[in-house]
Amino acid sequence: MNRRAGLPGLMLVMGTTTLAAQASAGRLITLPEAGSPFVAFNVWVQVGSQYDPKGKEGLAALTAALLADGSTTEHRYDAILTQLYPMAAGYGASVDKEMTVFTGRVHRDNLDAYYGLFRNAVLRPAFDQEDFARIKTRTLNFLERGRRFARDEELAKELLFWMAYRGTPYEHPEEGYVESVRSITLDDVRAFYRAHYLRTAVVVGVGGGHPDGFAERVRRDFDALPAGTLPVVAPPRPAPLEGIKVLIVEKPTDATAISLGFPFGLVRGQPDFFALMAANAWFGEHRSSVSRLYQIIRETRGMNYGDYSYIEAFPLGYTTQQPPVNVARRSHLFEIWIRPIARTGPDDLHDRALFATRAAWRELTTLVDSGMTDTTLAGITQYLHNFSVTYGSTVSRRLAYAVDDAFYGLRGEGFLPGIRPGLAALTAPSVNAAIRRHLQHRNMYVVFITQDAEGLKRKLLSGGPTAIRYAGEKPGSLLAEDAEIARFPIPVTADDITIVGINEVFER
Amino acid sequence: MRLLLTMLLSGLPAAAGAQATEGIFPFPYHTVRLDNGFTAYVIRAGAPGQIAFVSMVRTGSRDEVEPGKSGFAHFFEHMMFRGTERYPNYDGITAAMGAARNAFTSSDMTVYYLVAASEYLEQILDLESDRFRNLRYAEPDFRTEAGAVLGEYQQSATTPFGFLNEKVRETAYDQHTYRHTTIGFEADVRAMPEGYDYSLTFYRRFYRPENVVLVIAGDVDPERAEALIRRYYRPWEPGYSAPDVPAEPAQAAARARTVEYPGRTLPVLSLNWKGPAWSARDRLAVATEVLGRVAFGSNSDLYRRLVIRDRLVQSLSAGFGLQRDPALLSVTATVTDPAQVDAVATAVHETVQRFQAEPPDAQPLADTKRALKYGFLMGLETAQSVAFAMIPFVVNTGGVEAVEDYYRTLDAVTADDVRAAARRYLVDPGLTVVTMVQGGAR
Repeated sequence: MNRRAGLPGLMLVMGTTTLAAQASAGRLITLPEAGSPFVAFNVWVQVGSQYDPKGKEGLAALTAALLADGSTTEHRYDAILTQLYPMAAGYGASVDKEMTVFTGRVHRDNLDAYYGLFRNAVLRPAFDQEDFARIKTRTLNFLERGRRFARDEELAKELLFWMAYRGTPYEHPEEGYVESVRSITLDDVRAFYRAHYLRTAVVVGVGGGHPDGFAERVRRDFDALPAGTLPVVAPPRPAPLEGIKVLIVEKPTDATAISLGFPFGLVRGQPDFFALMAANAWFGEHRSSVSRLYQIIRETRGMNYGDYSYIEAFPLGYTTQQPPVNVARRSHLFEIWIRPIARTGPDDLHDRALFATRAAWRELTTLVDSGMTDTTLAGITQYLHNFSVTYGSTVSRRLAYAVDDAFYGLRGEGFLPGIRPGLAALTAPSVNAAIRRHLQHRNMYVVFITQDAEGLKRKLLSGGPTAIRYAGEKPGSLLAEDAEIARFPIPVTADDITIVGINEVFER
Repeated sequence: MRLLLTMLLSGLPAAAGAQATEGIFPFPYHTVRLDNGFTAYVIRAGAPGQIAFVSMVRTGSRDEVEPGKSGFAHFFEHMMFRGTERYPNYDGITAAMGAARNAFTSSDMTVYYLVAASEYLEQILDLESDRFRNLRYAEPDFRTEAGAVLGEYQQSATTPFGFLNEKVRETAYDQHTYRHTTIGFEADVRAMPEGYDYSLTFYRRFYRPENVVLVIAGDVDPERAEALIRRYYRPWEPGYSAPDVPAEPAQAAARARTVEYPGRTLPVLSLNWKGPAWSARDRLAVATEVLGRVAFGSNSDLYRRLVIRDRLVQSLSAGFGLQRDPALLSVTATVTDPAQVDAVATAVHETVQRFQAEPPDAQPLADTKRALKYGFLMGLETAQSVAFAMIPFVVNTGGVEAVEDYYRTLDAVTADDVRAAARRYLVDPGLTVVTMVQGGAR
C-alpha cells in the first residue's frame, strides 16, 4: 500500500493492471488485489447490438442472455443454478451498442467450482431449445409490456437515442423490436455466436484475490474460441439535426416523462472530456443536488424528484447513483433527463411539463452563452475530485473501468486515475471554450410520454406561456424568474412534432 | 503499471470464510454508548482513506399510526436535507466534501448515509449531529419538498409491482401500519403540503438519541472516533416516545382479490401468509427465512418446474425476509399464460403441503445455510456495504451484536424446524392471495 503524494487524506492502493496482447491470441487485463477475498471476472466480447442484422434486431442481446441464463454442454441450466446457489454467486451478461460483457464475482473460497461454470457459459453453450424459448418469451414480455408500461422515464430516454441515431447501427434498442425478436430463431443465435465469439474479439478481465497464474489460465481457456476477424462497423454518424424534433408518446398517465438532447461528438480520452465532465456536473450531475437543473426544478420549485444531464450513455439511471460501466461507445448524446412531472390540479399537467422543459432549456442556454465562472468551476472540481473516488468502489467496477479503458484506447494510468489531474488542469476560460465547441441549445430532439398528446402538441405550437402554481408562498424574485421561464421560446412547427400511441412504440 | 483509486477492504482476513462457529463478521467493532441512550458502532473495515457514516433511525412507515399520515416518515427524510441554523446549506457542505450521500426509508427504518474521505470524520460528526438535533426549515420549503415526493410517488408507485405491493398490503392487513406502503397512499401524499406542524412534532418525537444508531465503517481510528462521538452527540436531549403501533388481529380466513393494473402486464400471482417477527435467536423464525429459499428459491423444485421445465412462470420470487413486527411471507409469480394462473396457484399450494408434510432434504438445507452465509460475506466489500450489512440487526434489535446470534441460530436450524415453520405459518387462515391482471379498458 502506498500513499500518493499530492492527494491529501486519501490512502490509495497500488494496483497493477496489465494489458497483454498477442497477435495470435486475445488480450488479458489483470487487476490482482492479493488482500481481497473476492475474485471478479469481466469478459468483454467486442460485439454489440450494432452487429444485429436488419430485421433481427435484438440478436446480440438474445445470444448473450442465452449464454448467461442457459445450459452448457456440461450442465443443464437447473444444475448450474444448483451449483451456484450455495456460493451465493452468479454471473450475467450485458449488451450495449458496441460491447457484450459477461461479468461474475465469487468469494475466493469457491473460485474453482465457480470458474468452471462461468467459463462453460461463454465457451460451451448448449443452445438448448427450451432455454431459448424461455428467454425469448421473457424478452418479448419486456418488449410488449414492461418497456411500454413499467417505467416511462426509461422509455423516454430510449426513444431519445432512437430519434438521434436513426439510420445508423446505434438506432435500435439493444433488446430489439417486438417483431424482430419474434423472428429470431435458435439457428440465428447459434450462427451469431459462431460468427462473433472469436478468440481475438474477446478481452478477458480478471481481478481480486485470485492465485498467481490464474488469470493467465483463464486467458488460455478463452483462446479455445475460434480464430477469425470481426467485420468492421464504422462509427455511427447521426444525421445532422436542424431545429427541434419532438416525439410525443400518448399514454394514460398522470405524470409526463421528458428527455431531450442531441448527438455529441466527445468521447472519453479526448482533450475536452474533463472540461465537459466538470461543466456537465455543474449543470446536471446525476442524482445529485449540486447541479443547476436539480436546484432550479426540484429543490426550489419541487416539481419532480430530480433533473440531470449526461455526456455519456447512462442507462438505468434510476437504479444507481454511480456511473454505469461497460457502456463504452464511439458516439454519445448530450442528454437531459427530467424525471416525471406529475399533475397537481385537474388540468395543469401540460403546463407543468412544458414549464420544466423550458426551465431546463433556459439553463442550457445560459450555460452555453455565459459558461462557468472561476468560483463555480472550483466548487464543482472540488466535488468531483472527492466524489469520483467512489466510481471504483469494488474490484468488479475497477476491472470494468479497465475494460472500458481498453475500449477507448486510453494509455497510461487510464480513466479513473486520470480524473484528478484532468480536473486540476481546468480553467474557466478553457472550460467555457470547450462548452462552446461541444454544446448548443438550438437543435434538439425532445421526447414526451404523456396523456392527451394532441393537447400537448397544441400547447407547444401556440408558444403561449405555461405558468405553474405553488402550494405555498414564493419570493418575488422567484416568481419573476418563473415568468421568464414560462415564456421561454421553444420554436417548433407542426411538421416537427410526431405523435405515436404507446402500443406502437418499438413494435418494428 | 496502473495506479488505481480503490476502496479495497484489505483488512478482511484472508481466512474469512463461512465458519460461523468462529464468528461470521470478520471485522472488530467498537461500541460507544452515551447516557442519553445514543449508541454508535465504529468498525475498522480497512477501506483505505474512506469512511461510511450511516445513521439508522428506527422509525419508518411502520410508525405512521395517525390516519392520513401514511408516507410521512419518507417525506420527513427529504426534509432532513434542508439544513439548520448553523449549517443552512447542507447540500453545499457535503458537495464540497465530494461525499456520496443519500437516505432511504422503509417500513421499519429511515437510514441516512455519507461516504467520504476519512479526513472529514469530525466535520461529518458535527454536521450530522447538528441536523439530527437542530433541523430547521420554513413552511414554504416544506411545501416545495412535498412536490418532489409526489414526483417520486408517480415514478415508483405506478409501476406494476409498486401497484401490486399497495394492493397486497391493504388486502392483507386490517390494523397494523404495514397496511400502507412506505411512499404512502396517493391521497396522503397529495395532502402532505398541509402537514408542516405535524412534521415538527414528528421530528421532536422520533429523532431522539434513544431511537438512532450510528455505524461508522472504514478507515477510522476507534478511539478518536469515540471521543468525537461523545463530544458531538452528548448534548442531544433524550425524549423518544414509541408509537402505539396497533397489533394485527389474527386472520380468521383466507382472503383473495383480483386487481386490474392500468397498463399492460402479464398476470402476477401474489400469495402472502402472516409470518413471525424477526429474531436472531428464535429457531422457528430463522427457519422461516430458510423455508422461503428451500421451498420457493432459485434452487427449489418449484422453481425448476415452473420457471425452467414447464415455463408456466417467467419469474418466481420468495419474500420471506422478516421484519420488526410480524410481516408477510410472500411468493410472487409472473405467469406466462393467463390461462395458467390457477395451475400455478395449485403448484404453490402443493409445495406448501409438501413442506408441511416432510422436512426438506439435507442437501438443500445445507446449501441454503451456505448461501445465506456467503451472501452475507459477499456483501462486505466496501465501507458502505459493511455498514449497510449491519442494518437488519440494528433496526430489529438496536445493536449489531445480534449478527453472531443470528448466524449461530442459522447453524442450529434443523430440517424439522423448517417443517415446523411451514406448519405454523403457511396456513390458510393467514393467507392473502392477490392476482394482478391487465386492466380491461386498456
